[in-house]
Amino acid sequence: MTRPDPPAPAELADQVYAELKRLAAGYLRREMPGQTLQATALVHEAYLRLADATPVWQDRNHFVAIAARSMRQILVDRARARGAAKRWAGLDRVSLHESLHAAADVDDMLPALDEALTRLEQIDPEHARIVELRFFAGLTVEEAAAALGMSPATLKRRWSLARAWLHRELTRPEGARL
Amino acid sequence: MTNPPWADVRDAFESLVDENPQAARKQLEALRREAPEVAAEVEALLGHHEQVGAFLDQPPAISTEEDILVAGTLLGVYRIEREIGFGGMGRVYLATDTRLGRPVALKMVRGDLAERPSLRARLRSEAQLAASISHPGICSVHALEEIGDTLFLVTEYVEGETLRAVIKRGTFSADALASTARELASALEAAHRKGITHRDLKPENIMRTTEGRLKILDFGLARAERAGESAAPAMTLPGTVVGTIAYMAPEQLEGRPVDARTDLFALGIILYECATGRHPFSAPTALATSARILETEPTWIAELRPDLPRGLASAIVRCLAKSPGERFQSAAALLTAVDSQSTPAVAAAMSGVGWWRLHQIVVIGLYIVAATAAWNIKEWDATRPTRWAFLAVGVIVAIAGITRAHLLFTERAYTHRLPDERRRTGAILRGADVVTAVLLFLDALAIAEGRPVAAVLIMALAVGVAVATLLIEPSTSAAAFER
Repeated sequence: MTRPDPPAPAELADQVYAELKRLAAGYLRREMPGQTLQATALVHEAYLRLADATPVWQDRNHFVAIAARSMRQILVDRARARGAAKRWAGLDRVSLHESLHAAADVDDMLPALDEALTRLEQIDPEHARIVELRFFAGLTVEEAAAALGMSPATLKRRWSLARAWLHRELTRPEGARL
Repeated sequence: MTNPPWADVRDAFESLVDENPQAARKQLEALRREAPEVAAEVEALLGHHEQVGAFLDQPPAISTEEDILVAGTLLGVYRIEREIGFGGMGRVYLATDTRLGRPVALKMVRGDLAERPSLRARLRSEAQLAASISHPGICSVHALEEIGDTLFLVTEYVEGETLRAVIKRGTFSADALASTARELASALEAAHRKGITHRDLKPENIMRTTEGRLKILDFGLARAERAGESAAPAMTLPGTVVGTIAYMAPEQLEGRPVDARTDLFALGIILYECATGRHPFSAPTALATSARILETEPTWIAELRPDLPRGLASAIVRCLAKSPGERFQSAAALLTAVDSQSTPAVAAAMSGVGWWRLHQIVVIGLYIVAATAAWNIKEWDATRPTRWAFLAVGVIVAIAGITRAHLLFTERAYTHRLPDERRRTGAILRGADVVTAVLLFLDALAIAEGRPVAAVLIMALAVGVAVATLLIEPSTSAAAFER
């Protein structure tokens, strides 16, 4: 009996993306509307399914990094489809500052956050990865540190910097961006 | 300004972030002397670090709505552009039919509904029916597509605003109301002729396109839509149930059979709202609204809008009759009523009834001229015959003039009695006109020698009166009443 060849990395990413999307749709169809689902739950379930089907996924850390990226893509696309960017752009500066801290408006913020994160990625890819893991995949400090192979204390400091940097980007007056 | 080196900023920030404030300030001072730009950047970021609060603390939650299709997604030949609404069955998207390059609307059927075979079958048959209607006032259904486990309806994309939005901006002028009634009635007629009823007509289901045309959406889909709503009550907000009930006819509320006349009731409510800005049966709750639909007569529309043509106002009232038998029996009948009676001023002058009215008014004018002429003849030639002729002409034109005024009034106020009145008075009027013409003609002869010009003019007037009654009136009457 021969083992199937492990899929190429790009294929793996597609597979994770498709599985997460499918899972999200499945959940959403079954559950009653109005409830919310944490991204973390989705990532865990996707891992369980894919790890069963494809042995290559037994490296959980590798999986999580790709899943976090997919979640970012799925969540941002969703928010964009709902016209979040337009609502976000319509906020004046005072309410913008408030919205950053109010969980209810997270959706509206996502497209802007995604753009800022892309800029951060160009300056420091590692910090951008941390944001994907902590925020988009909902991993704890310890889980994220394990996924990136660093100490929780280091991760925490880098996470603080990434957060402060993004906070500044998102509260910056329109047009002042470089 | 150039950015300070990121690595320096990062290292400085990360070494300072966990320090106590005093130590941090000291280190920052030292850094400022060494590399002022890095220090400024780090200080700014530390400031944000302090304000960060709950920012990015919670991972984004995914609301458990149906999966949203993202712009650019391909569903068969349809490329999703954006979401444009939410219906009883699911989301509605604007998409491009990549084969034909035209915009279409995709009405998605929610997964839990698409899984029910009975609903699938019903949707298929209703979509087939709806696709058979072709009318500019009805949004066309192109196809019912099934791709994987996704079921959706492809319809014409109507760009514009809902009639609800138009009503909110203000009440309609009489002309706009008449043309709204005409457009909607002719669209309904086209569907009803094929045996298709809408059953869920409401301002939210009617679009005014950017070109100003009205288009009815979701024809024939009401039953499938309703099934969707009852399957997921949580999808319906409290207000939407009221909205749906608010346009139901009494027979619908009572669960009796519905037909084309049910749509006419809803149309009556919509036109009433366009005219007055308020729903004829509005009440604070759904239950109270349905009770009003079943039992209460709405405020007489002419009281709220005295400027409406009487015919149009009564056509709307007739649509709102509780019993289907008392309404118009078809949209075509409503259309005829609106066309014949509510025609706005300019159009009325051109229609048959308009010409008939004009004729009556002109003849009354001729009577006054005739009486004046007879008076003048009597003054110029003060003989016995001319005096008698004046008296006779005066009495006859007074009677005939009043009779014609009476007909005009009857036509305006009691249209249904007009045929009887015309029959009763026809002979009197014709006799009066002929006698007046003859008397005036003979009367003019008396002054023919002294004032030939006046005599000729008066004779011409006499001939005119005769021609008006014997030749012109039969044709204006025929144009107005014999169709």
